[in-house]
Amino acid sequence: MKRSTDLVYLHQVSKSFPATLRGGEPIQILESVDLTVQRSRAIAITGNSGSGKSTLLQIAAGLMGCDHGEVWFEHEKLGEMDNRALSALRSRRMGFIFQASLLLEDFTASENVEMAAMIGGSSKGEARDKAHEILSLVGLSARLSHRPDQLSGGEKQRVAIARALVNEPAILFADEPTGSLDEGNAAMVEDLLFSLVRQKEVALLLVTHNLSFARRCDEIHRISERNLEVIG
Amino acid sequence: MNPVSRLLTLRKLGIGANRAARRRVIFNIVLITLVVSILVLAQIFVVSMSRGIADKWALLADGHLQLYVDKRQPMIEHPSIETIDRVGEVNALLYSPDKNQMVRVKGVEQSYFNDSRLAQLTITQSENASPSTLAKIMISTTLAERLAVKIDDRLALMLVSNDAIRAQLCIIGALYDTGYHELDEQLVFCDLDFLEHLFTSGVTVYYEVLTQERNLETVKGDFERAGYMATTWKEQNPALSGNLETSRQAVLAVMVAVAILCGYFISELSSQMVEDDKARIATLHLIGAQPQVVRRAYWTAVMVITTVSIALGTALGILFARQLPPLLATIAARSYSALSFYLLDFPIRVPVLDLSIIASVLFCVSAVSVHLSLRRVSAIDALSCVRFD
Repeated sequence: MKRSTDLVYLHQVSKSFPATLRGGEPIQILESVDLTVQRSRAIAITGNSGSGKSTLLQIAAGLMGCDHGEVWFEHEKLGEMDNRALSALRSRRMGFIFQASLLLEDFTASENVEMAAMIGGSSKGEARDKAHEILSLVGLSARLSHRPDQLSGGEKQRVAIARALVNEPAILFADEPTGSLDEGNAAMVEDLLFSLVRQKEVALLLVTHNLSFARRCDEIHRISERNLEVIG
Repeated sequence: MNPVSRLLTLRKLGIGANRAARRRVIFNIVLITLVVSILVLAQIFVVSMSRGIADKWALLADGHLQLYVDKRQPMIEHPSIETIDRVGEVNALLYSPDKNQMVRVKGVEQSYFNDSRLAQLTITQSENASPSTLAKIMISTTLAERLAVKIDDRLALMLVSNDAIRAQLCIIGALYDTGYHELDEQLVFCDLDFLEHLFTSGVTVYYEVLTQERNLETVKGDFERAGYMATTWKEQNPALSGNLETSRQAVLAVMVAVAILCGYFISELSSQMVEDDKARIATLHLIGAQPQVVRRAYWTAVMVITTVSIALGTALGILFARQLPPLLATIAARSYSALSFYLLDFPIRVPVLDLSIIASVLFCVSAVSVHLSLRRVSAIDALSCVRFD
């Protein structure tokens, strides 16, 4: 049963994909999955490749619909929201980090973050101030006017973290955020991510196959055989 | 404008973007500018040529208005009347030693060739004319070539009427060239007194009024109210004036059709932009940008490119057109037979209304087709940015 303090609530969620582009017998990825993310809590989802970790994160963020079940964000049912409302929700209440930094190539580090702030409703001046502040928090105050192609992989991911957090979202969805980084950069990004999430009291839904990374979360869930089980 | 749209628009226009992005924008501007400049040049060329033909016909062949009256000078006051000249006209056969040609002989007074008319033709006078009692006529260089004669040569002018055949020997006192062979090959000028003396009853005498084309109907109305019988050059030459107007409208219709195609091409440009930027647009959707904000940015960027290109293309087309007269003069000097029925000597006139129509159609078609093509922005799934990477 959904509680009023739950931030994200998934109830009996099932998802399948067609076997081929022409249809055929669908492949069941998730079956009757329940998941609750409470405010300021960090939840890790682990599992083998292809087990449906990313699919679950995308359904929880409203980026993908489910076949059956309900997905709630705060007091709203995502399945009943139109695209406009979902966009507004993503811009103000959610942050995203993926394995690739997904920065806008034509924009500087500062502009990438400013863009997210402006989409979240800030004026141009406010967006610039917020962007500079959070980029200095992630240690990139000297890289404000650098374009993505002038940044290292670790720096790009730090810009992505800054962009995800600039609107002070309620939750950060992170899908293998260190997957493309070397060990040193991965550790630095992990530290930064957790330090900011704790500092800003943001909930975290982290998808990773890296157990040591997952262990830094408050809860660890594992997807196995289309179901979710708590393992720590 | 929304700050997100503004920033996206500026970047799509290459402002603050990398060199490759700027090159793409410049390439698109150059491409559209070239198409527009060709449309503008073609329209200016056709309109200028049509008006050039109309001017030559009105000024040299018939006058803007013809008044059929007795010998009294028609007198009305109108600020747009430039001159009123008494002329006589007769159809005759012109004989050279080897050939002959049916011509329209026009008897005029000394004052006939005023500045407006002189601007329509070049006259070559005899340099060492020997004194002669023969009447002097002025034929065109086209006619001289056809009759195989030159200046100072003699010709026989023969009037064939119902009751008599009268011939008169005359001398070529000057050659003229209007550049329009259809007019040149049939028009011969001579002194009005000579024509009246020689052909008496066969000569049609009337008054030619020169005025401004735009005031033609007003002036005609004024003459008619004063009791004169007036005919405009258009009424006198309905086929010619109708053909000129139809040609202008037909060419304008073709230009408008090309502008519509060009508008469609511009929408392809926006479609290509969106196709190239799919991953970027998906990322914007992922971080919460509303599709209409993204659409507006792309629409504005494409329309700025279009507007700048239209302005540059129009300016360039006018500039090219201004360079045409020397080029046409060179072509005319080479006397290509294929071009003999075209007027190659005319002043360049910028048809502001026609160009405005072409530019407006291009802008409106682009605006609508780009708007429609950008609907695909909404269909780009936020998640697709993850798939692209």
